[in-house]
Amino acid sequence: MEKVADVSRRRFFQLAGGITGAGLLLAACRKSPPNTKYLGSGDIALLNFLYILNQLEAQFYTQASTPGSQYYGMTHLELLCITDLRDQEIAHSEFLKSILGANAVPIIKVNFSAVTFADRTSVLTNAATIEDLVVSGLNSAANLFVNQTYALAFTKMVSVEARHSAYVRDSLTPNSFGANVINSNGLDQVSTPAAVLAAAEAYIETTFDSSKLPN
Amino acid sequence: MNFSNILNEIEKNDPEVYEKVSGRRHILKSFGAKVALASLPFAVGSMFKKAYGKTTDVVIDALNFALELEYFEFNFYHVANNTGNLIAVSDAPGFLTIEAHEKAHINFLINTITTLGGTPFQPNHYSDAVSVPPYIPNAYDFTAQSNTTYAPIFGGVFTDYPTFLIAASVFEDTGIRAYMGQMQTFLGNTILTQAQQIAATEGRHASFVRLIRRNMGAVEIPAPWITNNIPPLNSLQSFYLGEDNTTQLGISITSLPDTYSGTGVVPEDSATAAFDEPSDMTTVMSLIAPFILP
Repeated sequence: MEKVADVSRRRFFQLAGGITGAGLLLAACRKSPPNTKYLGSGDIALLNFLYILNQLEAQFYTQASTPGSQYYGMTHLELLCITDLRDQEIAHSEFLKSILGANAVPIIKVNFSAVTFADRTSVLTNAATIEDLVVSGLNSAANLFVNQTYALAFTKMVSVEARHSAYVRDSLTPNSFGANVINSNGLDQVSTPAAVLAAAEAYIETTFDSSKLPN
Repeated sequence: MNFSNILNEIEKNDPEVYEKVSGRRHILKSFGAKVALASLPFAVGSMFKKAYGKTTDVVIDALNFALELEYFEFNFYHVANNTGNLIAVSDAPGFLTIEAHEKAHINFLINTITTLGGTPFQPNHYSDAVSVPPYIPNAYDFTAQSNTTYAPIFGGVFTDYPTFLIAASVFEDTGIRAYMGQMQTFLGNTILTQAQQIAATEGRHASFVRLIRRNMGAVEIPAPWITNNIPPLNSLQSFYLGEDNTTQLGISITSLPDTYSGTGVVPEDSATAAFDEPSDMTTVMSLIAPFILP
């Protein structure tokens, strides 16, 4: 198992996927990679969870809006929107960082190897995936905060992230703003912080110790 | 400090404290011994938060307010979707989806209010309903003919597509702000999550309508999100008052460093657009009153 401990978490799970022995898997899980970032516990962990998600978004749109890596055929109006998205996610990200102070995790290292930034469909599809994840995460985090002042502040971000998702979805496929994300009660998605973080890690190189993240 | 003594003191004032907190007295009796002293305030805080949240009546009032707005929106879209030559063919599927979502919200809220022991709100002229959930032809006048300020703006709401889109933008944005205004009431209640889920759905609606207007060349070049407090028409400014807030939790968003793009600080447009601001019940009701028939 020494070799497994040396590779990244993503590679680890790719390897682990082929392992059927549960005992073997559990044994491997006990060792954390050396550069793992600890999220903290309780409200701090939740704040770092949201900070990581918004960092991911900020870095995604920073790359998508940078001259030279914008998707082919981006119109002026589209560039304005992508730039808006970048700046709003920076606002969210820096807001969370400011609240966290010394407890903030460092700037995360992203992995956008799954994204072809020159391709409009790839950018908008991945943007929708990320935005929908953030909506799900904000929805589950709200009631987990002990300090309810936080819940009240972040609830104002939920509908904005949903606006973002709808924009990239409708830009890709008209009228698809809520396709497959709204249930029969008309409710948008909610997933546990752990599930959302695990899904977001497909875009993140940094590894996290989220063992104390409320769920 | 002895945790059992605290519970005993509360029990003197509220004999049902154990039932409210968990219903299992023996677990609570041994609770103090098992929880590390340093974490006790947090553990106790979160335990009581759930038991002693807002009273049910206040929550029901807030849900009924939401239900009233959902009826308003459902009827608006129901009429529009059934008016020939109004909605562009390319946008019709989206507006049918929105109507279906508002219908689902009505049913969900009625069920939730009923489960909590409340009486679901019914619009005026409810007995004239011609479908379920009610399309009530006599409950609303979306052309606002009785209001001298609104009538010139909304007169063509079901005959002129750009006017319909302006109304839809304003109603969706206001609906979101109304939900934001009630979140405080839902704190510590599972309904908070569900209210956020509804608000997210409404956020998608608002974005859809605003993007249509943007692509049609609306003069203020609306983004799918609310920039500063810019309304679709100057005469509708009252719906957007307070949307230009740049301070969250006492933190000035426009003073925060812009780590990634290197342009100094977060620009004001984005600092305001990044948050949908709350609007209270009285304000929202006064804004939509001109569309509600007596």
